[in-house]
Amino acid sequence: MRALTIAATGMSAQQLRVETISNNLSNMSTTGYNARRAEFADLHYQQVSRAGAISASDGSVLPTGVQVGLGVRAAAINVNLEQGSLSNTGGDLDVAIEGKGYLEVTLPNGEAAYTRDGGLKRSADGLIVTSDGFPVAPEITIPEDATSISINGDGQVFAYFSDATEAEELGQFTLAGFTNAKGLEALGGNLFAETEASGAPNVTNPGEDGLGTLRQGYLEDSSVDAVREVTELIEAQRGYELNAKVITAADQMMAATAQVR
Amino acid sequence: MDNAGYTTLTRQSGLTREMNVLANNIANAATTGYRAEGIAFSEFIKSAPGTESISMATANVQMTSLEQGALKQTGGSLDFAVEGPGFFMVQTPDGERLTRAGAFSPNENGDLVNMDGHLVLDSGGAPIFIPPDAKGVDVASDGTFSVDGNPLGQLGVYRPVNPLDLKRETGVLFEAPDGVEPVEEARVLQGFLENSNVNPITQLSRMIEVQRAYEMGQTFLENEHNRIRDAVKTFVR
Repeated sequence: MRALTIAATGMSAQQLRVETISNNLSNMSTTGYNARRAEFADLHYQQVSRAGAISASDGSVLPTGVQVGLGVRAAAINVNLEQGSLSNTGGDLDVAIEGKGYLEVTLPNGEAAYTRDGGLKRSADGLIVTSDGFPVAPEITIPEDATSISINGDGQVFAYFSDATEAEELGQFTLAGFTNAKGLEALGGNLFAETEASGAPNVTNPGEDGLGTLRQGYLEDSSVDAVREVTELIEAQRGYELNAKVITAADQMMAATAQVR
Repeated sequence: MDNAGYTTLTRQSGLTREMNVLANNIANAATTGYRAEGIAFSEFIKSAPGTESISMATANVQMTSLEQGALKQTGGSLDFAVEGPGFFMVQTPDGERLTRAGAFSPNENGDLVNMDGHLVLDSGGAPIFIPPDAKGVDVASDGTFSVDGNPLGQLGVYRPVNPLDLKRETGVLFEAPDGVEPVEEARVLQGFLENSNVNPITQLSRMIEVQRAYEMGQTFLENEHNRIRDAVKTFVR
């Protein structure tokens, strides 16, 4: 009875859906988080009878064949890359990206990672780092005696000092863009790594190549829509129950078979 | 020859097959663009020389429901749904295939691909290129693709010449052995995906019917077994 294993693939698919939803809901207030969605596709089909096979002794043929599908598989966890809303924080090192670019971060092992979480901090040495302490590339150091920091839309960072009226330019933020940003590998901690599917990063200054501009004093909210997630959760739960029902029915059919002597 | 047993047997194996089809439909109730499949029983007449012919019921006809599934808003700029008849066309290693699952994304070269990485084809049968520096992608309801206001092409919407002859393949794909033709006045929705068109209630009630019919068949077989055993006992005595 293939129905048993087919329904089992259905149950694990719905389970994956619930897991994706619960990850979305738990990241409802994660800065720069993009909601994810599990996508499914049908599995292979077995040819039971082929179209065109002879169906009767007078030579008539079947107009359509019979194919029995073997269930469902997870095809992708699709990332919804729409811009999340911006909330005002007032922090001078909070930068939101208005557009589809990513900030480049240098990991402790020297590799590059990318993030949309612009809640930046100042390290003990004055370097601009992420919440996890990884320096943003290219590195920008803030002098100890700077009174305030200003970041403009094009990513230029200026520092003001008490003994000067003119601001001093400290450096320039860059943004990385990807041909297929959905193909980035999530590393956790709001970080992403380049993959073969995403393509190589295209690094430019903000405002160029359609990658978006920076906005100081704002952070990008998570793009999770709680109402949508909860409706999906209800659907997933019912879907799971339906598949369980199929298993019960298939089991009872097998029991009926076993009873015949 | 045990005709009663054999006729029941074809019925039982057909019901098992239908059960598998129902299980596959229910398992794919959350698969984007999935089309429900159905099985029909038809009479199969076996003529036996010298005796009367036997009529059997075999499940050898399959249907694909092309009913519109519910549309789900996702907001993704590269999520598409076809409203009304028609399919998107993708290029697989085995040839061109039709699909209603419109969750697309660009690949590493900037060409639009589906979930399994197959190229999506435009109305002229060519891949669709999305410039990496595009700020916004807009798709009009006739499938015309424009990037930052410049029209780039048109998403192809096709229909099989013979809708009865659709061969299913993994990945919510269909092969149309008799060829395809473009759909005039196709409607494409951006930011939407089409749900599976499986109606769980219909599937579940049919499943109960199949289960009961199967149990009836088993009871019949058991009665037939008892009848023959009694006959053997009576005659042997």
